[in-house]
Amino acid sequence: MRGSLGTPLSRRTLMRGSALGAAAAAGAGALSACAPSAGGGGGGSNTLTVMAPENEIDIKAAEQALGLKIKRIEVDTTKLTAMLASGTAPDLVRGLGAVETPYIVARDLALPLDDYFASSELLKEDDIDPINDVWRYDGSVQGQGPRYGLAKDYSQDAMFWYNTALLDAAGVAYPSDTEPVTFDQWLDMGKELTQKDGDTTTVYGLSAGGLGLFISLANMTATAGGSLFAEDLATVDFSSPEAQKALSWYLEYARARVGFSPVEPNADGWDWPPYQTSRLAMSWSGYWFGGAIAAEAALAETSRLAPAPTMGSERISACFGATGYWIPKASKNHDNAWKLFEWFMGGQPAKDRAVGGWGMPSLLSLRADLPTGTPAQEQALAVQEAEADYFKVLSFSPYVKVEALDAVLNQYLPDAINGDATAASLGDTLQTDMNALLAEGKELVK
Amino acid sequence: MTATLTEASRESSPGTARPRAKRGRAGTRPRTFYLFVGPWIAGFLLLTVFPLGYAFWMSLTNTDGLSPNWSYVGIDNYVRVFQDQQTIASLGRTMIFMLATVPTGVAAGLAMAVMLNRDFRGRALFRALFYLPAVVPGVAAALTFKIIFDKNAGFANAAIGAAGGEPVSWLADPYVRMVLIFMILWGVGGSMIVSLAALQDVPRELLEAAKVDGAGPVHSFFRITLPLLSPIIFFQVVTGVIGSLQVFVPSLLLAPVNGAAAVTAVPEGNYLFMVHVYAEYFAKSHFGYASALLWVLFIFVLLITAIVFKIGNRAVFYGGVDPSERKD
Repeated sequence: MRGSLGTPLSRRTLMRGSALGAAAAAGAGALSACAPSAGGGGGGSNTLTVMAPENEIDIKAAEQALGLKIKRIEVDTTKLTAMLASGTAPDLVRGLGAVETPYIVARDLALPLDDYFASSELLKEDDIDPINDVWRYDGSVQGQGPRYGLAKDYSQDAMFWYNTALLDAAGVAYPSDTEPVTFDQWLDMGKELTQKDGDTTTVYGLSAGGLGLFISLANMTATAGGSLFAEDLATVDFSSPEAQKALSWYLEYARARVGFSPVEPNADGWDWPPYQTSRLAMSWSGYWFGGAIAAEAALAETSRLAPAPTMGSERISACFGATGYWIPKASKNHDNAWKLFEWFMGGQPAKDRAVGGWGMPSLLSLRADLPTGTPAQEQALAVQEAEADYFKVLSFSPYVKVEALDAVLNQYLPDAINGDATAASLGDTLQTDMNALLAEGKELVK
Repeated sequence: MTATLTEASRESSPGTARPRAKRGRAGTRPRTFYLFVGPWIAGFLLLTVFPLGYAFWMSLTNTDGLSPNWSYVGIDNYVRVFQDQQTIASLGRTMIFMLATVPTGVAAGLAMAVMLNRDFRGRALFRALFYLPAVVPGVAAALTFKIIFDKNAGFANAAIGAAGGEPVSWLADPYVRMVLIFMILWGVGGSMIVSLAALQDVPRELLEAAKVDGAGPVHSFFRITLPLLSPIIFFQVVTGVIGSLQVFVPSLLLAPVNGAAAVTAVPEGNYLFMVHVYAEYFAKSHFGYASALLWVLFIFVLLITAIVFKIGNRAVFYGGVDPSERKD
């Protein structure tokens, strides 16, 4: 074989050529990150890449409304990490404001949006629900400083739903709509509501998994008047009386087998299927759960929302998720990304979401659109609105992902629950491992 | 006419046409070869060699993939691999999983193939039925298994209850590893199809000659059929070993939490090596350490494969030749 210059194409030449080709292709990807984009960070092209689940953003409607071309990619941490690392960041990314904001800000990944908010006609500062403070971080405290995102909708996730039919059947009094039960009272209710047929559980009394183990424990500790994180967010402390109380409660809950836990797994993966089929009496879920309940007429009639339980002195009703969107600093299309952000958070899609009742709207002006067509919806909204007074941002650490802390909990909890571990011994183990993770993370962002 | 024949004969004469044809072959064959293998080599370099090199580079750092302040840590991550109890335990678990699934899967596939190689009514139907689980998507299979093995509403415990037994918490430790093994073996139809194809290649005359010589079916199977199938069985063992060392998704699908967080909730029994690698990468953001884990796995897989080949060379009848009589 001869090349264009007439020299024979030897095996060695081919290998060298292939290697160069591969290197060039790989290098091109890396170099593209360094090259200036067509429009620069502020302007950008008319094509946006959005990391969002299917059907959350109506892509066609957005393209028509904004005159942009939008490419959706599935939400995938692996892909996001690869895209951010290779300089091909998406333009808009879905995230959990409550637990992710400090992490992405500490790594200089997220674009501060204050200037955009200041000039927005749709997202006005005085119309933004205070819950969105979870999307703020000033470098040391979450809830202060620049805004880095906004919740598409939210719930105060420590509240709980209960099925009155199951409470009536067990002769358990309904919890108050205004005064929270204590965690101990809640567990007692769960025990009374749990029904067994021999060794088979036909009805679980309560599910205390919430949106994750670590944030659930952090919330319990906070309501007891303490904090799992130290003030600098660089260590956890499971030895405080408040944290010990929270751990003891969880161990008692899991050992009582009144709900799902690492030793009593939920085959469905989340609370809705067992709640829907009356196999679960109380679910630790916020207002959003009402969206699913509303679709089941019979269940809607017997479902009520209750205030977040407390463990001690402080009445707190936190938000563990505040699922929303943020714009990567590395996006080359900030302005257009903001256009989509603004339209999705403050335009027609936001109104449609509010009407659906799958969460509280991020804009106070949209509260009037929330569904109140049934007594159950009215009750849920009234309880939720009263609960808003007790919202507090629980600062999350910038040094570690919540998944890392959940992984540690899941590693040690099964043996602790099945064995005779005390809260003190479990706390020591958790603290050692979690603090090692936090120290490693801190090293990388100092 | 004469002129034409003469020209034709001249063109076909040894002294003229053949050297040109020879040059043509010499010229086009390598060109075709390289054109075909070129894209593969480029892909191999881009998608295998480059990621391997990149992973090796990362394994020498403490990067989390996103933070700017990473630094080189030398071979610290490799030292840590051998000190990390979770790593060692997950590797041990993976070895046990491999030993439980590969021999059982290959043997079950072969047994089913032998059964379905016989003439009986409905043979095609049974072949299709046995193969069907192998083509069911893994996610669907896992969800079905979770429903079947649910402690309170699953069929498995209903059957146990009907027999007077106590319900078992199948999806939690220590039973969940059995569900995983069962789920993997459920797809044994794939192995069956490969063995079935190989069985149909066994020369009938050999089996008939053995029968004439007085050999029974068991004797014929172990003396003739099995040796002739040994290359195919060996292939299944090698690919099975490599695959089982890298099992990952089924463990996640059986976890009690859905979605990306599943990796944080995989019960210990199903916490295999690749699950550990994934958790280190994407839950704990230990990109450097996880890359070291992958390199260790890569070398481990090479070693195990080499051992399997070493053993295989003493047991496999390549081309029907007894390995003890092979001159190599």
